[in-house]
Amino acid sequence: MSETVGRDAAPYTGLVVVELSDDPAGEQTGKHLAELGADVIKVEPPEGSRSRRTGPFAGDVAGDDTSLMFWTYNAGKRSVVLDGTASGRAALQALIARADVLLTTLRPSELTAAGLDFRQLLDAHPRLIVLSVTPFGLEGPWADYRTSDLVGLAAGGPLMSCGYDDHSIPPIRPGGNQGYQVAASFAHCGLLLALIERQQTGAGQLVDVSMHCSLAVSGELANPYWFYPRVLVQRQTSRHAQPDMTQPALFRCADDRWIYFALILAEQKPWEALVEWMDSAGLAVDLTDTEYSNLTHRQQNFHHVQDLIEVFFLLMDSATAYHEGQRRGLPIGPVQAPEDLFDDPHLAARKFFAPLPGDEGATVLVPTTPFRFSSFPVPPPRPAPRLGEDTAEILGGLSEELARGIPG
Amino acid sequence: MEVGHLSTGGEIGPLVDDAPRRPRARRGPLSGIRVADFCWMGVGSVATRMLADFGAEVIKIEHRARLDTPRRLPIYKDDPRSYGTEDPNPDPNKGGLFNNYCRNKLGVTINMRSPRGQELAEKLIAKSSVVTENFAAGVMERWGLTYERIQELSPEAIYAHMSGFGQTGPYSSYRSYGPIVQAVSGLTFISGLPDREPSGWGFSYMDNQAAYFNSAALLMAIMQRNVTGMGTEIDISAVEAGISLLGPDLLDVAVNTRPTRRAGFPRGNRLEYPRAAPHGVYPCAGEDRWVAIAVFDDADWVRLVEIMGGPAWAADPRFESQQDRFANQDALDAHLSEWTRSRGPHEVMHLLQRAGVCAGAVQDARDLNETDPQVAHYDLFFELDHPVIGPARFEGTPIRFSRIEQDNWRSAPLLGEDNSYVFTEVLGLSQDEVRELAAAGAI
Repeated sequence: MSETVGRDAAPYTGLVVVELSDDPAGEQTGKHLAELGADVIKVEPPEGSRSRRTGPFAGDVAGDDTSLMFWTYNAGKRSVVLDGTASGRAALQALIARADVLLTTLRPSELTAAGLDFRQLLDAHPRLIVLSVTPFGLEGPWADYRTSDLVGLAAGGPLMSCGYDDHSIPPIRPGGNQGYQVAASFAHCGLLLALIERQQTGAGQLVDVSMHCSLAVSGELANPYWFYPRVLVQRQTSRHAQPDMTQPALFRCADDRWIYFALILAEQKPWEALVEWMDSAGLAVDLTDTEYSNLTHRQQNFHHVQDLIEVFFLLMDSATAYHEGQRRGLPIGPVQAPEDLFDDPHLAARKFFAPLPGDEGATVLVPTTPFRFSSFPVPPPRPAPRLGEDTAEILGGLSEELARGIPG
Repeated sequence: MEVGHLSTGGEIGPLVDDAPRRPRARRGPLSGIRVADFCWMGVGSVATRMLADFGAEVIKIEHRARLDTPRRLPIYKDDPRSYGTEDPNPDPNKGGLFNNYCRNKLGVTINMRSPRGQELAEKLIAKSSVVTENFAAGVMERWGLTYERIQELSPEAIYAHMSGFGQTGPYSSYRSYGPIVQAVSGLTFISGLPDREPSGWGFSYMDNQAAYFNSAALLMAIMQRNVTGMGTEIDISAVEAGISLLGPDLLDVAVNTRPTRRAGFPRGNRLEYPRAAPHGVYPCAGEDRWVAIAVFDDADWVRLVEIMGGPAWAADPRFESQQDRFANQDALDAHLSEWTRSRGPHEVMHLLQRAGVCAGAVQDARDLNETDPQVAHYDLFFELDHPVIGPARFEGTPIRFSRIEQDNWRSAPLLGEDNSYVFTEVLGLSQDEVRELAAAGAI
């Protein structure tokens, strides 16, 4: 890859990745790479990847090329259809032979069924990096267990911290396939460490990323509370799981929208800013009394403080709470719905959304990469490939090598 | 997140004469890379932790009068406290969260409000090739530390900003913590039961995820610099990282103009795409114990029914096809809950998984730490000693490489622990000069 990287090039320019992914963890990993310049060749079976058959669909019309699930996680890749026949397997081997990275989500039993042996591949291709992103890792007693986003978040720990104050309600899965996303983030970093190591040694390697272990280290406070005071945290509505139940941090505003505001009682400056703000609206009641400048007094009277804050926010709209609060140095955020984001002036000023080129000429705004570097311009969004869109081109490029008989 | 008033108090850092804690040459793909690390809180500290774990010399720059929040948060051995019940004057070396976030890093104290402190920071930057920070936009610039200035000091430097809202735009100076980022980006809204307040996130998910994005950004910049010899300035907004994680719901809004403020959304634990059913979290024996089960097709359903011993209710025509089961989930969930309720979460998980049905115990930190054989197989958690805390556990890296090993050389630095090493051995000051800086309140 190094030969083609120029001054303004995105970081993965010239990197060739063969992707055998059947879940959002692997697909998102490949998308990170494609978005920043890699040639990600997505190998699909004749019926297409599972995500192509998963909704929602553009225009609510199911089809090979209309899945928004597929679009989300496969933008910017190329699609090659290979079947499980001998010629399909030979083509896969030939693709791998030319790749920097083989990205797979196959569990050990699935690897065997697909006839893929990582050790053999690494022996045959010493510069190859095999990036394996699996539910539980390639080894260990659960290596062949299945996962899903819900099941991954459950077994990995984060789910136990998420839900409502009412514990008769089960823990609730946060939205957006975040279990898979956490695995993808570690896969991305793991690949980068292996690429940097390869720059120094010329050698590839196996990178075994476990979604389960990725989630088991991504629960923020749950492990430290077990490591140190050896207590378990309890889930609480939209705020930090803690050893004890704490005061709500979501406040309803006059426009029936929610804001998040966690008052950190121990911090003097935010406390003073809040009281001043409430006082300016004539709603501080007794909070201006001098004894409230003492942390212990605030802690002892937190219920009363909380009641007054609830009333205060209920009398203003969420936009005022957000911007006036922030102006006064208070960390307040509105609970925005996805549709609100397209009108957000801050995101607009940063040109975060950009049009996705489409066949029908309709302009759809999608997020650009959050990776903003001064060394390369923000790459424009690209569509996901149609099923087998690049098969002819990719196999055509291989035909000479296949004719010579690439060793497996 | 702005740095508040800093005192001029200037005692020299605790001098620990403890040979194993002295900085040593590091192993790993990032060895030889020195990072002047202005990060604090969660996002920044977790982002640079990965660099420190894999060989970089990450020098964390702290302010005595404005302790890093994880030093203050009440996660202490043998002293369980929730947020809001912090000790107002904690021992800054006792915090467990800080230990977890800052292991393998060096720690110095510099008073950035003092001109001599700023001069010292510039000396450190000149000896570093990566500079990291996660204040709100403008704080570093107020200290004169623009990218241009950083390049003057260290021509190939990578300069990474890791703020909540990014370096430009009308809200760039807004304060944020993980939950704010989650709220603003839409991640909170899409999480919860329909028609009530969101359950959102029970932790700062975006502290971790934005940190991982920032780790990746730093690694990308290092990889690219190895080829081009050029540094870069990085501007990652945690809010934008959060939006990029929203998934297909966002495209449903953008492409199908279908708002998420609608009845029935969000979907709780149910899965609309694909139409899995049963799909949920079911009660188990024990207090607040649960198991997650996900049934995607007829083959999964047949195996589940077999494991349950073929109960009569499962033959109900309401549950015949996947579509039927999806349409009748209230009844389905009630029946399934009756079956799970008398069993332990791990019992159900293993019964189902061994038959090829997707299921997972809802594990808590005790399960992960004490009984999870998969976590144990990967040696995911490791131990290091700490002079104040004693032996402690740490969250490791969930990646096994065939050629790279994490280099765990030391627990988190005491406040100012490496002042002497960094200021004399790295920057070349004399011990007298360091003492003088301390007396002048610059460190």
